[in-house]
Amino acid sequence: MAKAIGIDLGTTNSVVAVMEGGKPTVIINSEGSRLTPSVVGFTNAGERLVGQLAKRQAVLNPENTIYSAKRFIGRRFPEVQSEIKNVPYKVVAGPNDAVRFLISGKQYSPEEISSMILRRLADDATKYLGEKVTDVVITVPAYFNDAQRQATKDAGKIAGLNVLRIINEPTAAALAYGLDKKTNETILVFDLGGGTFDVSILDVGDGVFEVHATAGDTHLGGDDFDKRLVDWIAEEFMRDQGIDLRKDRQSLQRLTEAAEKAKIELSSSLETTISLPFVTADASGPKHLEMKLTRAKFDQLTADLVERCVGPVKQALADAKIAEKDLDEVILVGGATRIPAVQALVRRLTGGKEPNQSVNPDEVVAIGAAIQAGVLAGEVKGVVLLDVTPLSLGLETLGGVMTKLIERNTTIPARKSETFSTADDNQTAVDVHVLQGERELARDNRTLGHFRLEGIRPALRGKPQIEVTFDIDANGILTVTAKDQDTGKEQKITVSGSTQLSKDEIDRMVKDAQAHSDEDKRRKEEVEARNSADSVAYQVERQISELGDRVPVNEKARAEQLIGEIRELVKNNSTDVARLRQLGSDLQQVAHALSSAAYSQASQTASGPSGNGRATDDVIDAEFKQTR
Amino acid sequence: MMPTETTELERLQEQLRTEHEMYLRALADFDNYRRRVERESKYTARSGKREIILSLLEVLDGFDRAFQHAEKNQSALWEGVQAIHRKLLAVLQAQGIAPFESVGQAFDPALHEAIAAVEPNGHPSGTVVDDVQRGYRWGDEVLRPARVRVAQ
Repeated sequence: MAKAIGIDLGTTNSVVAVMEGGKPTVIINSEGSRLTPSVVGFTNAGERLVGQLAKRQAVLNPENTIYSAKRFIGRRFPEVQSEIKNVPYKVVAGPNDAVRFLISGKQYSPEEISSMILRRLADDATKYLGEKVTDVVITVPAYFNDAQRQATKDAGKIAGLNVLRIINEPTAAALAYGLDKKTNETILVFDLGGGTFDVSILDVGDGVFEVHATAGDTHLGGDDFDKRLVDWIAEEFMRDQGIDLRKDRQSLQRLTEAAEKAKIELSSSLETTISLPFVTADASGPKHLEMKLTRAKFDQLTADLVERCVGPVKQALADAKIAEKDLDEVILVGGATRIPAVQALVRRLTGGKEPNQSVNPDEVVAIGAAIQAGVLAGEVKGVVLLDVTPLSLGLETLGGVMTKLIERNTTIPARKSETFSTADDNQTAVDVHVLQGERELARDNRTLGHFRLEGIRPALRGKPQIEVTFDIDANGILTVTAKDQDTGKEQKITVSGSTQLSKDEIDRMVKDAQAHSDEDKRRKEEVEARNSADSVAYQVERQISELGDRVPVNEKARAEQLIGEIRELVKNNSTDVARLRQLGSDLQQVAHALSSAAYSQASQTASGPSGNGRATDDVIDAEFKQTR
Repeated sequence: MMPTETTELERLQEQLRTEHEMYLRALADFDNYRRRVERESKYTARSGKREIILSLLEVLDGFDRAFQHAEKNQSALWEGVQAIHRKLLAVLQAQGIAPFESVGQAFDPALHEAIAAVEPNGHPSGTVVDDVQRGYRWGDEVLRPARVRVAQ
């Protein structure tokens, strides 16, 4: 029962994900990161490094460190001339004009380099999951031709993997949003990554995706935005201080990092400060860089980059013969789509449609690939059936409070038991009021059913133990059982359709609870204050009657006065929490004085209740109210 | 036995097999998940701290840079600032975090991030000439690699 994983084999970074318990999870690599750089380095010592380690030594070993292999895979040597100019390593023509990387006199195909990255990702997955992984789904850009797809598949084979399927990146993104369940929809996927920009238009029907058009810019991405910012900061600094920070490697590195950080911060705030103390020095001493940057300025600096996205979107729409109003869904992929100006542009170009962006745009493609892998491995079908309870389930307890046994969004089937007790002396029956909802008070929630458990042997309040079990099966059928531990008597009720509320109803109930949460909390506090004061009053009353004439007269009078006041407040449903608490604690004090006085008088006969007088430790602090 | 019963039996057996398979799968998933959660619980506890510690390291870098520019200054203020630096280091040390030495060592991508290759000037090729940003360990783990220049 091997696991199948999904791999987003990217130009700059790769991500691997897997289905676990029916949910996609991004796998953390051995360096503790969710992204693995798509870089392979060959050291002088003959060692092969993949990922972060390869990247760290790239400066020392530029000719033997291959990145962006994806730009070469499955292509002919004459087609990649412009790409060759951008890379420091040697690219040569192999047999039949195939692309080869020349590393220390040895030729490697792009497939081989990609296979090393795939192997590493699969190894990380194996380590993470604790079981061997061989089945994979790999994503490729929608515009990849057959040769590029075949080469990617071959890379998987070379890595010793069983490639279940090669799928398109935009299709994977759509899968991650569950859009395969839609019928006849048109989807635009806007993918602005670190170094590439792709637009795709897809159609979905009967779970099948069809790519209608693709367009893009193979050299436009988030890195360009960073570079714009670096240039601006460096120029401002040069005007101020007369030093070009870009000339010094160390300063440039710090600047690039600071620029990227500023870009990220400006996605969530309107202003940020770039601070690089001791960024450089000249004869006059050290120089510091301290600069404020507003989002407006950032937008101005990068306006033309954002504008470069317009053409490809329009072209894709035209090629697909689709008007912007015909788009049903828009999906954002790639870290750079977090930039507010980019999002605004997407909205503008798609008729104001709100884009899907709830899934992390850096991971959405890998997540979709994992879902596809799960389906192909026959896993998703089995596990996805597991449902959750949309609302909490519980019962009414003393003072009209709802005590939740099963919290909302619990995966079903689920079962939970708790022990309750009685609220009054000699109570012989309890009412079980089964509730559904998120509000604190019973009356604000939905009643699923009522039943009554009778024949409880008369006892002091808090003594009987009634075990209540909520059992909800995979079909959402809820059975509530109440069992008297003493007599073994049992009553139950079955409620079907506790999960069959409409989505609107559920949303309304959850929103309601949020809207009233402060008020509900206060009301619950009031109930609890009354319950706890009443409980103290009850205990002290019992203590007095048990101790009889051993109780000192003064203390007794004081206690009775306090009990009287509490009873009055409880009877009138007082909302004066402070007063109730004060009375409760005063009474507790009196009770201590009372019992120590009594005990010192006659320690040999003392048998009064101690603590809070509740039956056992596992009896929770909530009782059924007296049935009327 | 009736032929329909046979088919019904086969169908049920098949269904049972599928159901059992799904059951085992869920069970295995859960078991693996539980084991991994146990294994990772330590890591998760640390990952919360990691972010804040990494940003504190940037403050330490600031001290390192400042000291480079003021080596000959021996004023009382200077000594006070050095004491603050030592204090911050001690706070981190108490958490098991400490800088490691890179200069003179052979370049190792597990510990070092190369930012430039420089003239050897007496250093053996492939060794670290200086660290422009110190590396830190957290117990056995490399918390942050050192940023180094390497002789070549």
